[in-house]
Amino acid sequence: MPYRLFVEPFQLPFMARALAEALLLGVLGGVVSVTVVLRRLAFVSDALTHTVFPGVVIGYLVAGTGGIVWGALGFALLSAVLLTVLPSNRRVTEDAALAILLTGFFSVGVVLVSRRSSYTADLTAFLFGRILTVDRREIVETAVVTAVVLAVLAVVGKELLLRAFDPGAAAALGYRVRLLDLVANVVVALVVVAAVKAVGTVLVIALLIVPAAAARLLTGRLAVLVAVSVLVGTLGGYLGLAASYQASVYYGLRLASGATVVLALVALYVVAFVVGALRRAGGRRRADRREADLVAEAA
Amino acid sequence: MADRELSPALQFEHASVAYGRTPVVEAVHGDVHPGEAVALIGPNGAGKSTLIKAVLGLVPVVGGRITVLGRTPAQARREVAYVPQADTLDPEFPVSAGQVVLMGRYRRIGWVRRPRREDRQVAAEALRAVGLADRAGDRFGLLSGGQRQRVLLARAIAQQPRLLLLDEPFNGVDAVSQDALLTALHGLRAGGAAVVVSTHDLALAHLTCDEVCLLNRHQFAFGPTEQALTPELLRAAYGGQALVTDEAVVAR
Amino acid sequence: MSVFSDAYARRALVEVLLVGALCGVVGVHVVLRRLSFFTMSMTHATFPGIVLAALLGLNLYLGAGVFGALLVLAIAWLWSRPGTDESSVVGVVLSAGFALGVVLLSAQSGFTKNLSAYLVGSVLAVQVGDLAVTAGVGVAVLLLLAALGKELVLGAFDRSGLRTLGYPARLLDVLLLLAIEATVVSAVPAVGVILSVALIVAPAATARLWTDRLATMTVLAVGLGALSGLAGLVISQLVGVSAGAAIVLVACGLFAVSWLGAPRYGVLSRFRHRAAIA
Repeated sequence: MPYRLFVEPFQLPFMARALAEALLLGVLGGVVSVTVVLRRLAFVSDALTHTVFPGVVIGYLVAGTGGIVWGALGFALLSAVLLTVLPSNRRVTEDAALAILLTGFFSVGVVLVSRRSSYTADLTAFLFGRILTVDRREIVETAVVTAVVLAVLAVVGKELLLRAFDPGAAAALGYRVRLLDLVANVVVALVVVAAVKAVGTVLVIALLIVPAAAARLLTGRLAVLVAVSVLVGTLGGYLGLAASYQASVYYGLRLASGATVVLALVALYVVAFVVGALRRAGGRRRADRREADLVAEAA
Repeated sequence: MADRELSPALQFEHASVAYGRTPVVEAVHGDVHPGEAVALIGPNGAGKSTLIKAVLGLVPVVGGRITVLGRTPAQARREVAYVPQADTLDPEFPVSAGQVVLMGRYRRIGWVRRPRREDRQVAAEALRAVGLADRAGDRFGLLSGGQRQRVLLARAIAQQPRLLLLDEPFNGVDAVSQDALLTALHGLRAGGAAVVVSTHDLALAHLTCDEVCLLNRHQFAFGPTEQALTPELLRAAYGGQALVTDEAVVAR
Repeated sequence: MSVFSDAYARRALVEVLLVGALCGVVGVHVVLRRLSFFTMSMTHATFPGIVLAALLGLNLYLGAGVFGALLVLAIAWLWSRPGTDESSVVGVVLSAGFALGVVLLSAQSGFTKNLSAYLVGSVLAVQVGDLAVTAGVGVAVLLLLAALGKELVLGAFDRSGLRTLGYPARLLDVLLLLAIEATVVSAVPAVGVILSVALIVAPAATARLWTDRLATMTVLAVGLGALSGLAGLVISQLVGVSAGAAIVLVACGLFAVSWLGAPRYGVLSRFRHRAAIA
């Protein structure tokens, strides 16, 4: 039974490729989601997934499927800059500005798509991805992006951490906080670009938030946080694909694979939530016992 | 001015307050009578804010008792007013000084109903008491820090409370606003309200308050300033961190 | 105007005017309390409710409404738990909800034409029943906001002040969140799941750039919301693009213009001001 569930699906070439892509994205998402969650960048990241959409459409209109990544990249970088440089107009709170920016860009994408006759199919693919049709070239692209992002984080990781924890101190030490933010936003944007073919723009946000959010429920130590986050990311990809295959082959349900991956991630989050809650309850009981021992000693 | 004949507005009976299991402040014991002012003095982290929140019924009392106007803190809340520090509020919020003061009347106005003429009159009077009647129409955020603090005091005054709690109201406040605050507090006490002020400023405490409660996680003293603010007690409470240089102030 | 000669166009017009106005009013609270991300999450996470209702043959509004209400309560509960921070919880719920909706939809028969209607709206397909729901929700939300208005504003301005006055702050929060969710549900036929945030946030954010007074801001937001609906619908008919997207682009465009040009708080006026001082 385990073989049927966990190994058999991936003997098929297209499933194996999908798995490779999902695992890479799991690592990428796992690592980057730590910055997103620690910096509370969830909304900024969500905004980036939407502002990339018109780039995806334009890339496709201009150069077919191969153009998607370039269109996404261009708009991702543009968005990262805009979102960083957004002059802090006191009257406009950051969250309102993000909401307006992302829906505005997204609407541009919708308008462009709605002029075509294959409206719905195209929209679906852009938004939800087609992980089961990734080819070798795309896997390589994702691997390259992963390597680049890991390298960047290796270089400026501790500075980003400092900025996340104490921007005042970072500025006082001479770091250009805006520049660090730009780097962080560009990294997130790159993840969006890498994932857009596989899971689509709408579901990327899950990869950018859920792994680290789940890990955060279990630990406060950074190294452990990153490890658990990567574990969740990759496990989610694996389980999600396996589940989608099972449903399709054995139950006749054609489930969108990108979405099942996300649901697997969320399921892991729920598990982490329960484990975290149980540990806290157990910890309290242990503390109570210790207190009782002390009282007994004193008496 | 203080009327010790009447029962206390606020009574601490060996009170301890805690958020969770570990008490934040312990062994607080003393009374505040109508018309009296008591200063809560202690270093940062001493638990002054927590104690104030306990009087408001927002933090549990885990030992002893706190009696407010003869009732439990939660029951007495309608007649207790709180003045927070003004810097926590959004200066861009579209609300005028007059509207902020009117907020103090909401409990009396009640759910669903709109403010009546009487409420507006009380609010205007409260703004006059802090010397900002001419700024009623200005956006709250346009006022200076000290003026905003005065508006928040006016909001509390508009509640027509019998007990007033202030959290570090003089922090970073300019001299003019400080004077206005002190004048308004004096007026409140004359009207029979009891006042509790947490502050760092020993000189101000001396100037304005009848008694002092010196604390740092537990009470070191509760009594008239000459008795409570001796050099030894101050050193004990501040853990050697306070520079007691002006003997004259303390000895007075 | 010849654009509105057909019945369906007239129904669409009434719908966008109603939705625009309602979103304007609710948007004021969303903007003042910085609830844009929460609203975004609500629009996404309501999606499976709509799909479930469609699959089960139930009324779409009912499905979306009940599902959304449950979500609001779940989020409010999660926010009070240790180890979670607000935005991550919202992000997780957003992802979970939307993925669930997608899975359900794809399980039904792969993706169907309905998807784009959910995502970006199909205002030209609204029926009289939809109008009735929008109007009903609008009235209910307006009554709630009018009744609790002063307490909600106090809570937005000074939450701890609300608590110390003895108000049940959490309950008021939840009521507002439910009102936002109800608005989102009624806006979905017009502008869809992804774009309804814009109609809620943009008019109110725009209004804020023009005035210091809450009452004026509310009136402006309502006007801008309705105007966006009208102009967007007309443009979409004339040019032949998605109505939902056109409406949102108008709303965002109005914001952009105000962000640049509003007398005191627009970017340009501050440049001029700085230049004048220098």
